[in-house]
Amino acid sequence: MAVVSSTKPGVRRERVRDTRTRSAPRRSRRRTERLVVDAVLLVVTVVFLVPLAWLVLASFNGTADLRVRVPHPFTLDNFHRVLNSDITYRPVLNGLILCGGATALCVVCAVLAAYPLSRYESRYKRPFLLSILFTTGLPITAVMVPVYAMFVQVNLIDTMYGTILFLGSSALPFAIWLTKNFMDGVPLVLEEAAWTDGATSLQTLRHVVVPLMWPGITVVTIFTFLSMWGNFFVPFFLLLSPDQLPASVSILNFFSSRGTVDYGQLAAFSTIYSAPVVVLYAVMSRVLGGSSALGGALKG
Amino acid sequence: MKVHFRVLAIALSCGSLILPLAACGSSGSGSGTTIKVAYQRNLDNKVRVMDDYLAVVKKQFEKANPGKKVELVPIQASENDYYSKVQLMMRSPRTAPDLVYEDTFLINSDIASGYLRPIDSYLATWKDWSQFLPTAKAAAKAQDGKTYGVPDGTDTRGLWYNKQLFQKAGLPTDWHPKSWDDLLSAARTIKQKLPGVTPLNIYTGKAAGEAASMQGFEMLLYGTGQDPMYDTASKKWVVNNKGFTDSLGFLDTVFKEKLGPDVQDALGANFGTTVGTELIPQGKLAIDLDGSWMGNNWIKTGGKPWPQWSQVMGQTAMPTQNGQAPGTVSLSGGWTWAIPAKSKNPDLAWNFITTLQSKQNAADYDIRAANIAVRQDVASDQGYLGSMPGIDFFTGLVKYTHYRPALPAYPLVSTAIQNAMESVTIGQATPEKAASQYASDVKSATDGAVVDRSAG
Amino acid sequence: MRSWTARPGDGAVTATSGPGAGVLPHPPGALTATSRTRRTVLRGLPLLPSVVLMLIFLAGPIAYCVYYAFTDMRLTGASATHFVGFGNFTKAFGDANFRNAVWLTLVFTVLSSIVGQNVLGLFLAALMRNASRGVRAAASTVVVVSWVIPEVVAAYLLYAFFRREGELNTILRVLHLPQQNWLFTLPIVAVSVANVWRGTAFSMLVYSAALQEIPADITEAAEVDGAGRWRKLWHITLPMIRRSIGTNLMLNTLQTLSVFGLIFVMTRGGPGNRSETLPLYMYEQAFQDSLIGYGTAVALMLLVVGGLFSVLYLRLLRTEV
Repeated sequence: MAVVSSTKPGVRRERVRDTRTRSAPRRSRRRTERLVVDAVLLVVTVVFLVPLAWLVLASFNGTADLRVRVPHPFTLDNFHRVLNSDITYRPVLNGLILCGGATALCVVCAVLAAYPLSRYESRYKRPFLLSILFTTGLPITAVMVPVYAMFVQVNLIDTMYGTILFLGSSALPFAIWLTKNFMDGVPLVLEEAAWTDGATSLQTLRHVVVPLMWPGITVVTIFTFLSMWGNFFVPFFLLLSPDQLPASVSILNFFSSRGTVDYGQLAAFSTIYSAPVVVLYAVMSRVLGGSSALGGALKG
Repeated sequence: MKVHFRVLAIALSCGSLILPLAACGSSGSGSGTTIKVAYQRNLDNKVRVMDDYLAVVKKQFEKANPGKKVELVPIQASENDYYSKVQLMMRSPRTAPDLVYEDTFLINSDIASGYLRPIDSYLATWKDWSQFLPTAKAAAKAQDGKTYGVPDGTDTRGLWYNKQLFQKAGLPTDWHPKSWDDLLSAARTIKQKLPGVTPLNIYTGKAAGEAASMQGFEMLLYGTGQDPMYDTASKKWVVNNKGFTDSLGFLDTVFKEKLGPDVQDALGANFGTTVGTELIPQGKLAIDLDGSWMGNNWIKTGGKPWPQWSQVMGQTAMPTQNGQAPGTVSLSGGWTWAIPAKSKNPDLAWNFITTLQSKQNAADYDIRAANIAVRQDVASDQGYLGSMPGIDFFTGLVKYTHYRPALPAYPLVSTAIQNAMESVTIGQATPEKAASQYASDVKSATDGAVVDRSAG
Repeated sequence: MRSWTARPGDGAVTATSGPGAGVLPHPPGALTATSRTRRTVLRGLPLLPSVVLMLIFLAGPIAYCVYYAFTDMRLTGASATHFVGFGNFTKAFGDANFRNAVWLTLVFTVLSSIVGQNVLGLFLAALMRNASRGVRAAASTVVVVSWVIPEVVAAYLLYAFFRREGELNTILRVLHLPQQNWLFTLPIVAVSVANVWRGTAFSMLVYSAALQEIPADITEAAEVDGAGRWRKLWHITLPMIRRSIGTNLMLNTLQTLSVFGLIFVMTRGGPGNRSETLPLYMYEQAFQDSLIGYGTAVALMLLVVGGLFSVLYLRLLRTEV
């Protein structure tokens, strides 16, 4: 239980188990076992931590290089330099509008679509789910040329809402699949009551199913937003005016000119750029009472 | 609440259908009074040469043409992504800019795609055109004999060397290498006498892009003999020639003997900037095979202001392989302003070109960008000649200079060169093996229009 | 979508049947043919927005890609586009660089996804069950943050980590171990490790959830029977989370096959073509050489590779989506 971050029921379960195993040698074996496990996990943690530590330390370092070092001198200068409208504020705001809008569109559509997929049977269902899942393996670069042509045809090129529509649609397959899996876990019993009261399926969805699967919807929202926030190609090709471009484009430019920028500024900008998703994740997983819920829909 | 939710669901489902259709109704944004000018913005936010210059000309133009507007469309991206995006934009009248900044190495390819509009009728009435050097006029002339772009300057290439480092290593500060061997022996001396200094930089590999093909490889190749790349008589690409393998051999020597930069750095994405703003000003690089514009890095408004540069850095011509006539080799490229075929406002766009290329503005830009002038009146302009130390030297190379084959297939051939260079640089292939891979790449890129020179 | 019937009660066809899963009651009263059609349409209606969006923005462009793949379309260099049949495909198989890209894609996928993320994810999930609270919280936070940060940033961090003067070599120097220019000597290994660093959290979350579902009594019963650690894993744990393994492998593989940004920022496919997987090869052909037709043909073949992997998983593990 409570595998990833501890929740109360998990702690309780452990205690129950401890009382069950009475014999002293077994208890001490468990203790050594736990020590070994902790040690191994700590090593893994440190290995994973090193690159992240560089990011944070370098962003406060006045003389940053590629090594993990205590900032010397400690400075906020790197942040001051990149915190301006051209490099940070406008692109981050654009990114929030684009990814926020597309996530909202995607999640609403996915919840609607998941309902019949979860509740009714059809021989087209499995092929449908499998084929939308395959499209997640398509490199997005491959479709950019026809998408551009289409956007020009229907005059969506260089519009935020057009880009939102495309971003949202391209995230739909995975979102539908995920939402459907979450919805499968919501018991049907409660719906039966609503049905007999004569509620329509949309009403049932709205008043019975959705309230029961908020954690699942939250997870889908996070997944969708995460996948969009780093997307560079879609906005780069579909938006022409530079003042509409999101942070994912400006950060790639920042990296591409890395011969001249100093590492401190680069790290500072990366930190700012990563902040929205990390914060989103932290808040959501706290609301869910532990990030283990995130894996719930994927257990098969 | 109930109603609200249903309305939302229906609106979304209908919206996705109607939105594109509704958008269809409003026609394209182009109007007779505005022109859109697309150009590449430097990835380094500190470098804004073109942006600053265009802002000045835009103001001038809008003042001289009341009611007309210029909309600048900077595209900040790597070179490849810039080209891809501009090409996509030019495919449709809705997104085509009215003026586009095109590198001469790509312009013939874009002409073949039908992206650009011939400007001969405009040129016929423009008296300034007679001021342009014949070679520059040819740069944007396609195989159909029509001209598609107005060049805004050119460049030449040669060797930059650090006189202080040369002195320390006991080499002459007035240096005139006569052959590739002279160049290599100077590099070897530096390697021996000055540890920690990179003796010689030659651009190489895929990441450096056209800089590798042109500054790096073709500067060698064109010093190996007549028509080493394209045979104008038979209209075929030359493959398997000794000059090609020899040029790769030179590269092989440089990197094998560690006379060049560290391979990982050399193949890095933005090594050109590192060379200009770090290695040379910090005195970590002795000889650099590079372009005439390098001084631009070190002037007051450059990426790395370096007031002493004109005393420290010397320039000398790149020798031919064994010193064969004419003894000196240089290559020239440059950029042009061109009007897309699908521009809705070509007349106004042309007007803007003439403003961009008025004598005064042309001189202004050549000075800002450290270009070699292509207008005779600018070339003799005192302000231009005095603008940058060394400019007279590089202007003098014009008489030895070569131009890349102005053909649609050139960009693909150039990619094949970069691949060959990269595999030799990292030691993945011998010069001979890389040359034969190049031969097969070029054969497939040009539908077999190659002439095999392996016998001769 | 035409005939939606209520789900059978056993839930065998759907992946997870919730505790209360069952049949939706038929509305009372006999149904006429028209009202049945009406009901089917009404039931399928919520799918409409998604289906419309995916048809317009995904199926449409993909259909175009299929068409492009049989032409010699270029972004520059030629004005006309011709139908070339299977020309692009035969060209690909004759190209040593393409075969190299296929090989590297398989290496990258097997190394980083199937072995790396999958095994490490399961390992971490299992360890965390027995770890103390503080360690568990710290480990999961760090692993998850590596996954949450944007791909370009992650790629740059790993680029910095593997560089010649980067942190990995600093650590090796301290430990008196041989150092290398990793991105240069073993680029495909470096990008694979990077992908493990970035993607393990996903597998870890999936397996954590799956392991939670195994009732404690079963494992305890096995312990009482004296089953060893490995036997317990092999005979009890793995079969019980079989479906999670299948799903996770499938999602991971599809995702890893199309990884572009990570490798592009770290090595650009180089040096030479030693880390050029199919998405990078496709990008280079389509956008550097402007050979759109050829590039999309490569993308389609990548999709086929993904399909083959998925079929394999579905067969091997008999999981349902």
